[in-house]
Amino acid sequence: MHTWKQIRDREFGNLRPHRFSNRIKSRRLSDLQLSNHKDFLSPHKGALNSLQVDLTEGRYLLSAAADASVAVFDVQRPTEHEAGGLISKHRCLFVVDKQHQLAHKYAVSSAVWYPVDTGLFITGSFDHHINVWDTNTTQVVVNFKMPGKVYRTAMSPLATSHMLVAAATEDVQVRLCDVASGAFAHTLSGHRDGVMSVEWSTSSEWVLMTGGCDGAIRFWDIRRAGCFLVLDQSRTQLGRRPSVLKRSTVNKESNFKSSSAGQTTSAKLRVAQKKLPNGNGSRQVVVGRAPAKGPIKQRLHPGMLSTQDRATAHYGAVTGLKVTDDGSDSRLRLWDIESGCDTLVNFETVRLQTNKPIQLATSQDSTRVFVPCMRTVKAFDMWSGSTSATFRGHYECVNSCWFNEQDQELYTGGSDRQILVWSPPRLISDEMEEGIAEDQDSWSN
Amino acid sequence: MDDSAGEAATSSSLQDDLTFSDTLVALQIMRAQFPHIDKVSVQPFILKSQLYSSVKDRTQVDRELESLRRDKVLRLFKLNTGQDDHAIMFLDDYIKQIDQVFKRMEVKKEVEYEVFGWFKNYVLDSKLETGIEHEELCSLLSLGGKVKDSHISILINAGVIIRQLIDPNMYWFAIPNIGTLLKGLAQGRNELISLLSRRRYKEMMLATLEKKRLRMSPLDMRFHLRDLIGSGHLRTDHTPSGLIIRVSKD
Repeated sequence: MHTWKQIRDREFGNLRPHRFSNRIKSRRLSDLQLSNHKDFLSPHKGALNSLQVDLTEGRYLLSAAADASVAVFDVQRPTEHEAGGLISKHRCLFVVDKQHQLAHKYAVSSAVWYPVDTGLFITGSFDHHINVWDTNTTQVVVNFKMPGKVYRTAMSPLATSHMLVAAATEDVQVRLCDVASGAFAHTLSGHRDGVMSVEWSTSSEWVLMTGGCDGAIRFWDIRRAGCFLVLDQSRTQLGRRPSVLKRSTVNKESNFKSSSAGQTTSAKLRVAQKKLPNGNGSRQVVVGRAPAKGPIKQRLHPGMLSTQDRATAHYGAVTGLKVTDDGSDSRLRLWDIESGCDTLVNFETVRLQTNKPIQLATSQDSTRVFVPCMRTVKAFDMWSGSTSATFRGHYECVNSCWFNEQDQELYTGGSDRQILVWSPPRLISDEMEEGIAEDQDSWSN
Repeated sequence: MDDSAGEAATSSSLQDDLTFSDTLVALQIMRAQFPHIDKVSVQPFILKSQLYSSVKDRTQVDRELESLRRDKVLRLFKLNTGQDDHAIMFLDDYIKQIDQVFKRMEVKKEVEYEVFGWFKNYVLDSKLETGIEHEELCSLLSLGGKVKDSHISILINAGVIIRQLIDPNMYWFAIPNIGTLLKGLAQGRNELISLLSRRRYKEMMLATLEKKRLRMSPLDMRFHLRDLIGSGHLRTDHTPSGLIIRVSKD
């Protein structure tokens, strides 16, 4: 009923189409539960480490597991149906595992699609290699050897002038590998311990953000030598900065004015920047000494385990962990990238997994952030920090999650080798009781 | 506030004043409810987790704490009982505590005790964070006079500054004479959790629980309950016969 009224408002022009679609999306988002109509049959025999749906079409899901296998699923077309067509099962389109000649030997820690099309994907593994694969022939095209275990790889979704893969390894330097030439471009040094997470900025193709085991989160401009910003826990701001533009409540960054055409948050809008690294650090570090050219450097405490990007809003969201001497306490923090301050939003997390990188997800309009907390995934409201939903379904720790904006579905992968789908419920009974429904409506026609 | 201090000392039920509306009100009432300990004289302090259990919106707590800290009404200290513990103390109480320690320290060389005055006047005033670097400390102290290494060691001996384990150049600000209380805090936490975990259903009514006394901790049950509820180890649920405390599972 509510939906019909909104459709009518849209028809008459009382409700803008964009707001209409946002309302539907946010209602669906608040109804997420374990999907009753979709299922992925995971071929993995080890814990799932990363999930990603491709950025160009939003159709193919790439998953990487600890048994050195990488699989691709089609999210939209199921391979078979069960229960009379009500439940769709998605089998993997192909899987690359240890039987393959050029496959990885140890766990694959991250697999990402090439941002331009799904013809290539890049995998990084604990066997110190990064492989670039051709999807159609399932062959390794380029191979890079790293000095340590690769924790995460990332490619910039905005890059038009470079094809660099940023690699976060247990070595203190972040390396940039060029896919086009097969050589290493350069290295970024500044971290004091292994780097666990890396993410490209969604507003600039030259800006990279890394988080290390030493608790520091650094921002790098790859055209220059040093990092230009280190996030400092003691620099805080109270809440959001006032928005620059009046019309849209979403855009806040000032270097984003050029494309801020009101509220057109279509899928192509790249300006959004959101990053939510969630961290775990094992040591605290004082950064301190300012290099010759860069500004900065105060101390920085929070650690990072993994970063996550995506969203239409242009604020920085980084979650950090406070390091302590004996253990690690997990905290989630929201940072404003433009000002580099902690916005002091308190997310009620009790425990987060602390020894592995975990992957967070955010909804496109940046209202919700999905965080894997041990066996559950919690959805928090971004700006108030309150828990809006808890998803319990995995038998073991959840390692990664990915939010599919097109269908408003959340995919989570855990150490129990399963990929679970959380979606708004589809009313199964409607199709079976069609006759009765018609009778009910016939008087109102 | 004086009236409520008197009332709070006699109020028996934690159920009634478990939550407050405002951070500052919560801080003041919890300060008044700080247990009186015989052997150690410590000014009242409040743990951050206690604050989280007392005020509903944690983000609001963080922000109000931040603005109070910037206004120099209170100070935050990082505790070493692991797990991201912070203690909040009103600035006046902290100054009183430092003075108590100063008086108790044996006066060997009059001259060197001026460092406490420098510390109070220059360092506490300008450095509001929980930690400080060595050079910055020296430069702030030298606003009072010539700083020598022996001055820094006096501060460390008094317990006002603690060297960080990770980085030899950084110090934490600390509350002096708090060692026994921190030990009691850690032991009391464990005792309370194990008390509840040993029960068959791992729960107990708040009314019965708060009458018990903890053997290992000089701090009272109400202090520990607030702390554990705020840090998420225990949860409260409403039942028709009152609040019930359960051990929370992840």
